Amino acid sequence: MTRTLAIAHNTLREVARERVVLVLALFGLMLLIGSQVLSPLALGEGRKVVIDFGLAGSSLLATLLCVFLGSSLLHQELERRTVYAVLAKPIRREEFLVGKFLGLWVTAAMLLAGMAVILLAVVTVAYHDTPWQVLGAVGLNLIELGIVTAVVVLFSSFTTPALTAFFAVAATVAGHFAEDLRYFASQGAPALRAMAEGAYWVLPHLDLFNARGLVVHGASVGMERILYAFSYGLLYVIGMLILAGAIFRRREFR
Amino acid sequence: MTRYLDRATLLGVLTAALFVAASGGVHHAVSAKLGPSRDEELLYYPSGLMVRRASLGYETAAADLAWLRGVQYYGEHRLTDMKFGMIDHVMRIVAELDPQFIEAYVFGGFVLAQEMRQPERGLALLTEGLRANPTNWRLAFETGFLHYVCRHDYASAGRYFTWASRMPDHAEYAERFAAFANQKAGNTGMAILLWKHTLLTGNAYMQDVARKELLRLGVR
Repeated sequence: MTRTLAIAHNTLREVARERVVLVLALFGLMLLIGSQVLSPLALGEGRKVVIDFGLAGSSLLATLLCVFLGSSLLHQELERRTVYAVLAKPIRREEFLVGKFLGLWVTAAMLLAGMAVILLAVVTVAYHDTPWQVLGAVGLNLIELGIVTAVVVLFSSFTTPALTAFFAVAATVAGHFAEDLRYFASQGAPALRAMAEGAYWVLPHLDLFNARGLVVHGASVGMERILYAFSYGLLYVIGMLILAGAIFRRREFR
Repeated sequence: MTRYLDRATLLGVLTAALFVAASGGVHHAVSAKLGPSRDEELLYYPSGLMVRRASLGYETAAADLAWLRGVQYYGEHRLTDMKFGMIDHVMRIVAELDPQFIEAYVFGGFVLAQEMRQPERGLALLTEGLRANPTNWRLAFETGFLHYVCRHDYASAGRYFTWASRMPDHAEYAERFAAFANQKAGNTGMAILLWKHTLLTGNAYMQDVARKELLRLGVR
């Protein structure tokens, strides 16, 4: 566990070097400008528009950070040959992967949390009311980020950074269409139906983690939903990491 | 500096800037000549369900974008030809993306009923809103409002005001209006009351309409 945490800490430092703070500063600035520009144009709906754009922007930025920084993380280690030095120590490849996953997820989670704080501050100052219920949506988003990070780690364990990014984006997009896929397949031939059913169960059900529509209208996310999403997310992440570990263990380094 | 910006690079950047500026000039000249196609400008907007699928979980943010576009559309036409043919389409997209966006039903309903003098279409939009949000007192109240002011259907107005007064978090005046409408007495007085109530809302557009209607009824 200590070894995994050491790798996670190292990954966190490595990713933090990629000017994550700059992303945060830019986000805050855009949100401030956006709230000033959009509010008068929104005909009384400025608060909702700012919260909507704030939540959507933070979720999108954190997901992109996961995909694009994560896709090259493992590859860089191989490229610089630092992976040899690490794996020469008494550490299992699976532990190395889990450390990478934790480091990347914690970085993305910190970025998302930072953006949520900025959003709360901007709305509080601009509209004299703190929309605490957005924290429920952010919490679900954190779990979704865990799934996206695990998917990125899985693909990066056996393919190139470009393909990892492509597959991770495709899996994220398809994860939002999982229900539709099942519905459309139910109208098709039996073979197609079986294939689509299989894809439905393999794809992450990312709609489960979207509570933005709920919180922008002042509703809170129920504890039951959070627990359900957490259980689903945890099981899915463990599944992805076990698969990634199995692939990475067999990988030959040149 | 010179290492990054040698002569060839500078020339390339300047040439590119020239071409971009020229394309902007052509666009400006052509669009000024052709002008916006009033009836078709928002036809390219696809259906809300399609946008919902394409928004990948960001449907409420997409609804806000459509809402901002709809408000711009309204503003542009209010300053020019007073034709709002596409407002129904845009507000329905907003509603399909975010069925709880109450202001889209209310604003769309008012523009259709008041500005376009098509109360049936305005009421249809509000009814759709009520179907999606049956416990929202404001939608029921505004539906009653349009029945009263535009169709002079006091029985329906009374029914909707009563509905509004039974919803959670309703405003105190909903009960008063329900009583007035149901009595069917002093209809002009009721209309004045309704418009005066509208003046109290935070919506500048609706306040403007209310002021005009009050002037028509002889109230300053």
